[in-house]
Amino acid sequence: MFLSTVILVLQEILEAALLISVLLVLSRLLTRNSKEHLTIPLAWLPAAGVCGIAGAWLYAAFTPAISEWFDYVGLEITNAFIQVLILALLALFCFMFSSGNREHRTRMLAGMAPVLLCAMVALGITREVSEIILYMQGVMAVPANVSPVVLGTIMATGIGISSGIVLYYLVLALPVIWGYRVSMLLLALFAGNLASQAVLLLTQADWLPYTPQLWDTSNLIPEYSVTGQLLYALVGYEANPSLLQCLLYLASAILIAFSPLFLLAWKPQHGSEADA
Amino acid sequence: MNSRMQMCLCMLAGILSTRPLLAAVPELQLEIRDHLFFPATLEIPANQKVRLLIINNDPTPEEFESYELNREKVVPGNSRTVIFIGPLDPGEYPFFGEFFPKTAQGKVVAK
Repeated sequence: MFLSTVILVLQEILEAALLISVLLVLSRLLTRNSKEHLTIPLAWLPAAGVCGIAGAWLYAAFTPAISEWFDYVGLEITNAFIQVLILALLALFCFMFSSGNREHRTRMLAGMAPVLLCAMVALGITREVSEIILYMQGVMAVPANVSPVVLGTIMATGIGISSGIVLYYLVLALPVIWGYRVSMLLLALFAGNLASQAVLLLTQADWLPYTPQLWDTSNLIPEYSVTGQLLYALVGYEANPSLLQCLLYLASAILIAFSPLFLLAWKPQHGSEADA
Repeated sequence: MNSRMQMCLCMLAGILSTRPLLAAVPELQLEIRDHLFFPATLEIPANQKVRLLIINNDPTPEEFESYELNREKVVPGNSRTVIFIGPLDPGEYPFFGEFFPKTAQGKVVAK
C-alpha cells in the first residue's frame, strides 16, 4: 500500500509542482527585468495554494454528483473544461505582453499577472489534489491502510515539492536570458500537454471522435516508469497518443511559442542579458 | 384522439425506435466488488467502439486505469460510470484499479 500510494500521489503532485516552479521562475525573472518595470508580488503563490486546496476539497466532495452529469461522463467533461481553462489563462498571460504603450501595459500587467498566475495554479491544484483526497478517503476506510497511506502521501508530497525546488534552482542558476528561454519552452510544452489531455478526456467521453494512434513507445519508455512519469509531468509524454491529441498538442505549443512573451525571451537585445 | 395527435405519436414512436440504431455502440458491463473486477476478462468486438458501464458496488472509490487502453477514470463508491473504449486492434489490454492495484486487475480481450 505504501509504494502504490507514493506512486499515485507523486503522479499528481509532480505535475503541479513543476508548473509552479516554472511560473515562479518566470515571475521572478519578469520582476527582475528592468526594462518592463514590472513587479509581480509573490503573494499569488500562497493565495493559489489556499484556493487550490479549498477547490480540491469541494471538487472531491461533489465528485459523485459530477460523475453522473452528461450521461455518466461528467468527470471527463469537467476535467477537460478545467484543462482548457488553464490553457486559456496561460495564453492570455503570454499575449498580454504586446498590447498598448509600455506604461499602460506595465500597469495592466501589474494588476493582471498575479491574478492569472494564481488562477492557473489554483485550478491545477484543484484537479490534482482532489484525486489525492478521493484516494485517501477510499483506501483509508480500511484501518490497516491508514499509516502506510499517510506516510506514503507525506513522502510523495516531499519528493514532488523537492523536485519542484530542484527545477526552480536549476533554471534560476542559468544565465538570466536562458532561464527565461527554458521556462518559456517548458510552458509551451505544458500548454501542449493540457490540450492533449483535454482531447483524451473528451475522446473517452465520446464527445470527440476516435482518431488513430500515431505511435506506440510503451516498450521503449513505459508511462509507468520513472522516466515516463517525469517526462509526462515535464512535457506531457504519452506512449500511445492519438492523431488528434498530437495535432492539438502542437497547435497549443505553437500558440504559446508565437506569443509576445515567448518572442521577448528570444530577442537577443532583450533587457536582462545586461545583468546576466 | 384526433388524427393530428395520432400522427404526432406515430412520428414520436418512429424517432424513438430509430434511436437505438443511431447509437449502435455495443455496451458492456464491468462490476467492482470487494476491490475485484467482475468479469476479470472482458471480451469485446475488435475494431469497434464500445461503451463500458462500470458499476462500483464497494462503498470506496476506485480508479479504472489502463496504460494500454489509454484510459483513466475515478469511479466513486456505490455508483456507476461510463467509459468509451476502442476501436481496438485484436489483442489483450490489461487494466487495473489504481486505488487497490493488488487485487483489482483485469483485461480487455478484443476479438
